[in-house]
Amino acid sequence: MPDELTALNGISVEIERGRVTVLKGPSGSGKTSLLTLIGCMSRPTSGRIFVDGKDVVKLPERFLTGIRRKKFGFVFQQYHLIREVKVLENILLPLYPLTMKFSSMKERAMSVMKQLSIEEKQHFKVKQLSGGEQQRVAIARAIINNPEIVIADEPTAHLDLKLAGEFIDILRTLCGEGKSILIATHDPFVYDHAMVSTVIEMRNGRVEEVRVK
Amino acid sequence: MTKHIKIIEYALSSLLRRKYKSFAIIVAFSFTVAALASVLFLTTALKIEASHVFASAPDLIVQRTTAGRHELIPVDYAETIRNIPGVGAVHCRYWGYYYDALTEANYTVLGVKGDQDTLTLLDGRLPRTSGECAVGAGTAWLRHAESDRELILVNSQATGVVFDVVGVFRSESSLLSNDLVVLTDDGIKDFLGFPPDRATDIVVEVHNSNEVQTVAAKIKRFFPDARPITKSELIRTYDMVFNWRSGMMLTVFSAAVMAFCILAWDKATGISAEEKQEIGILKAIGWDTSDVLALKFWEGLIIAMTSFFVGILTGFAHVFFFDAAILASVIKGWSVLFPRFHLVPQINAYQVFVMGFLTVTPYVASTVIPAWKAAITDPDTVMRG
Repeated sequence: MPDELTALNGISVEIERGRVTVLKGPSGSGKTSLLTLIGCMSRPTSGRIFVDGKDVVKLPERFLTGIRRKKFGFVFQQYHLIREVKVLENILLPLYPLTMKFSSMKERAMSVMKQLSIEEKQHFKVKQLSGGEQQRVAIARAIINNPEIVIADEPTAHLDLKLAGEFIDILRTLCGEGKSILIATHDPFVYDHAMVSTVIEMRNGRVEEVRVK
Repeated sequence: MTKHIKIIEYALSSLLRRKYKSFAIIVAFSFTVAALASVLFLTTALKIEASHVFASAPDLIVQRTTAGRHELIPVDYAETIRNIPGVGAVHCRYWGYYYDALTEANYTVLGVKGDQDTLTLLDGRLPRTSGECAVGAGTAWLRHAESDRELILVNSQATGVVFDVVGVFRSESSLLSNDLVVLTDDGIKDFLGFPPDRATDIVVEVHNSNEVQTVAAKIKRFFPDARPITKSELIRTYDMVFNWRSGMMLTVFSAAVMAFCILAWDKATGISAEEKQEIGILKAIGWDTSDVLALKFWEGLIIAMTSFFVGILTGFAHVFFFDAAILASVIKGWSVLFPRFHLVPQINAYQVFVMGFLTVTPYVASTVIPAWKAAITDPDTVMRG
């Protein structure tokens, strides 16, 4: 079809459990597309994606939702927080569809906010926060379900060096808790960082190089 | 249950977040429901009032028509009718209309023999002499004619006649008594200038209600110029009149309904980019399609039920507390005089249910369907718009 665009082609990668993996490449190289496929937020036109050894491509939507809920925590490039909603409510959002009591939900949210030093901002609306604070809220929302894999898309794109450093510290803590981290970035501060174990370099929808540190 | 309570809580929070939009929809929706409810409440209440009136109406009324128009009836018809087998009491009625230039209102002038039990005196008694009258509450209010005061009316000879007001009426239905001026039979004959051998109509009681039609047919055979009207015909006619009037009003209000439908259609054909993105976010962070639909269902239901109840209460208050100030003159219609017309609150649960079904369901559907389209799409696609 003349209007169709092939975002990814001939990709075969493996993300290791408990490690920090970076998808590196210029804008338009297909990093975000690959992240959304891995994160079960879209489906490839062909090919297979295995999560914990199970092919998820053919699974019905409700199973993908379950996988997203249990396995993944997303930190989007634009954060995708609900701006008019208070910080606490944004963080609690993934827990609303669960049969968990509100008091337990709040307890868990307080713990995560404390971990990310945003507990004092819980009653602020997202639009009242700085970029760095918004990102912490996005991270808090991503990890409140205690996911096995945290996916972050261009996490330092809107941060200065100091905030980027703080973000890396948070990731390091999460990694220390045994979570797998998958980051798409073209920021050398991130992909050159010592905590990164694997760098997958992408260009024009293909994997150019996989570098294991 | 816990999950749905949390989703309802989030739905409420979402609506409050879009408070101006939510408020505007509630206002438009409530207005539409209030308009429809007012028409239906008023029509139902009037029908029930009318049925109260006709509960004590005679089995048969005999009128005379000439060239298709109502004429005064010869009183000696009554004697012939009385001799028909199965007929009970028969008596002539004297009544007519009086236009009062002072108040620019029509009164119904009725003659009584002083033993009318269908009307209950609020205050005072029935007239006993030609110089006395009793009046309906509306007439009393307009002419400041309370008991023990005088009422001056102009007779058929254009001469002012002074009546002593000896009573103010109330009835099961203010529909019947509100515009009344009640005189004695002799008093009304003089006042309206009845020819001595004529009455307005003749009322006939029939012992066996199954024989009313037979008696009516016999009367028609005896008097070809007579028009016997049965109670059931009267009730049916009034029902049709009210149905026709309410139908007219519903047609007028169909503009409001159309406007609301356009609003619902606008919602159904698409949701805002902001709402779409929110659905994408919720899906991405682990909300199932059914959770998103539950959220939108509750949002729609909260708006629709709030609007519905506000509309119903507004319609109820308009009809029964404010005497249907906006609609009354159109639906009641046949008389100029209906000051302080007050209806007894009556609600037809079936009508309310149907109205709820026809307004709440389309709105909830118009909220859920576009959300469903977004919710079944990959979250990434929805978020990107």
